[in-house]
Amino acid sequence: MKSNLYNHTFFISIIAALLLCTNGIAQENDLSNYSLRFGFKTVKQADNSRLLEVSFIGYNKTDRKDKVPVFGAEIQFLNILNDEEILLGSSKTSKEGIAQLILPENQKYGTDGEGYINLRARFNSTDALSEEEEDIMVKDLHLDLNLSEIDSVKTVTLTAFTMDSLGVKTPVSDVDIIIYVNAMLSKMNINEGTISDGAYTFDMTESFAGNTKGDLTISSIIEDNDEYGNIIQEKKVYWGTFNKQIKADDHKLWTKAAPIWMYVVLTILLLGVYVNFIYTIVNLFKIKSEGDNLPVEPKKNYTVN
Amino acid sequence: MNIESRKRELFKEFAPRLETTSIKSKIYIGSLIAIILVGLYAFYLQMSKGQIVTGMRDNVVWGIYEVNFILLVCISYSGAFISGILHFFHSPWKTAIARIVEIITVLSLLIGPIYILLCMGRLDRLHYLFMYPRIQSPITWDIMAIITDIIACFIYLYLTFIPDFAILRDHCEERKIPKWVKKMYKTLAIGYQDTKTQRNRLHKITRTMSAMVIVLAIVAYSVLAWIFSLTLQPGWNSTIFAPYFIVGGLFSGVAFIIITMYLVRKFYKLEKYIRKAHFKVGGIILLILAMLYGYFTFTEYFSRWFSHKEIDTNLLDKLFTRYFWEFILANYVGILVPIGILFFKKFRTIKWVTIASVIALAGVWLNRYLIVIPTLETPYIPIQDTRIDYIFYSASWVEIILSIAGIAAFLLMFALIGKIVPLVPMNYILAGQSAPKTVKEKDNKEISE
Repeated sequence: MKSNLYNHTFFISIIAALLLCTNGIAQENDLSNYSLRFGFKTVKQADNSRLLEVSFIGYNKTDRKDKVPVFGAEIQFLNILNDEEILLGSSKTSKEGIAQLILPENQKYGTDGEGYINLRARFNSTDALSEEEEDIMVKDLHLDLNLSEIDSVKTVTLTAFTMDSLGVKTPVSDVDIIIYVNAMLSKMNINEGTISDGAYTFDMTESFAGNTKGDLTISSIIEDNDEYGNIIQEKKVYWGTFNKQIKADDHKLWTKAAPIWMYVVLTILLLGVYVNFIYTIVNLFKIKSEGDNLPVEPKKNYTVN
Repeated sequence: MNIESRKRELFKEFAPRLETTSIKSKIYIGSLIAIILVGLYAFYLQMSKGQIVTGMRDNVVWGIYEVNFILLVCISYSGAFISGILHFFHSPWKTAIARIVEIITVLSLLIGPIYILLCMGRLDRLHYLFMYPRIQSPITWDIMAIITDIIACFIYLYLTFIPDFAILRDHCEERKIPKWVKKMYKTLAIGYQDTKTQRNRLHKITRTMSAMVIVLAIVAYSVLAWIFSLTLQPGWNSTIFAPYFIVGGLFSGVAFIIITMYLVRKFYKLEKYIRKAHFKVGGIILLILAMLYGYFTFTEYFSRWFSHKEIDTNLLDKLFTRYFWEFILANYVGILVPIGILFFKKFRTIKWVTIASVIALAGVWLNRYLIVIPTLETPYIPIQDTRIDYIFYSASWVEIILSIAGIAAFLLMFALIGKIVPLVPMNYILAGQSAPKTVKEKDNKEISE
């Protein structure tokens, strides 16, 4: 028998051709469709180490939601001093397109005449990607967080200063700062202000429970400051105020256990009734045992109540 | 008068019904069994396919099963209440109606709770009610009340049967009664020979039980009402629901007893014992209860109308539109017509009192329907599924068949009990014919052999 397929050779051929050429017309990830973003930032961390971080990500020119991190790109972090480049270290980008370098507290930086540290992050060109480079300038700010009780008032005091090569401290002013309390999943903003004459002080509210030990972690953050960049300082302190522990209500109408009077009333009612049942049954047995002891011949003369 | 010979006469009078079964009775019992079998098929369908074969859905989770449950349980409670009163106060009326009332009490209490089980979507989780009871829940109280009441009613019924079992035991030997029945009489008579001690003991425990049954009935009635009134549902959340249920239950119970008295009198040829006077007094009691019930019904709807709560207004709108005729039949015809009939002395005949009772009973059933269904059709939050059968309830054939099967089961069990014991207690007849003495007076009398 001849197959029906042979009756439609033309259409079958067209469908087969379309199916086979699917791979041929599939869109490839062409880098020309993406614009690369090379972002560089530095954060002075709570332990006074400095984090240098580059994010290297390609964004689709037409669909901004489509982004492709550049993975495995080697980034060099440099300290620039009078056109001289001092390599601080290098790092490769992660799957998220992030390269990080943490410099210890005692890292020495070259600074310019105004006390700025010039930092540069560089990606050297490859066959596929062109060279990327970005510079930032920050002053090294020392941020101290003091947590103390003054006249029984929990007081947060922040001092901020710069230090020159001779160790002379210069207080800073007009620097915005945000103070947070670290929570389980995120940070909770508790105060915002501006450092003036190198200090900022506020009274801590009393209503934080802290962790299970009663400890609070307080963070102060200077964010994206033009002169000082990002600086984080945090401390742990035993300032947790335990509210009176909420105890699960016992023996209430809507709790797991019923009010005591309910148990008492129900018990009395049920006991009263079931004791009466038992009393009745016991009496029935007594009637039976008396009947069993009587002569087999039944009584001939009944009177009933 | 020789009591022994009177007893023999009584036995002779009632024995034929115990000995033989007429063709008519056989057809009657066969028909009831056939209806029950159809009901069992409907039950099988519901068990295998689930609640989808019923009219119950997400919102209206209780249908006519719940209505039947309330009606039967209320009849049972009122039966227990009336029976307790008859015994406790040594009413002379107990001769005619005590046995009928006691049987009604137990049978209603056996069949009624089956309907509530049929409402359950997951019967396999029934034991959770006992494993994880919540003492604050009226459902838990109701389970305790029903179980306790069933036990109490069984014990009470049995206590009132004992002297009759003894009479039957002593005289059944000379009659053509099946051996197993004779053996059953002997066992159930527990060696009762009406000695002074036995009589006193039996009297004492029967009297205690009768008092307890009255209290239990009131408690159980109230608990049943609280299942509804302790919720915030429109039409249910009412302070007078417990007494309203008690009055409604007594009203339907008395109506049911009168109907049963009429049927038993007619089909068991007991005109000699169940007389016109019984119906006359029954009619007066029904009249008083109808007026009380009418007053409660009016108060209930009147205060709801005045509350101006939006949800109550919605419910009342529904009652006066979608359920207009049911409302008229339940709360006007079902109350005012019995009052109209029973108010006039000349209508207090056997026929008219029975007709008034039938109307009253149907009215109470409809009233219960209007308490359960329209409220569930008026939720606080509109449901998501807006199919008409999800919003409004209508009973499916499975529910109707199972309801009819329940009535058939009741009638069948009543007929079977009527085959084992006389429906008029022989010991009460004997007591009524002898001087109405208290037990203490009788105690002074020697029992002669």
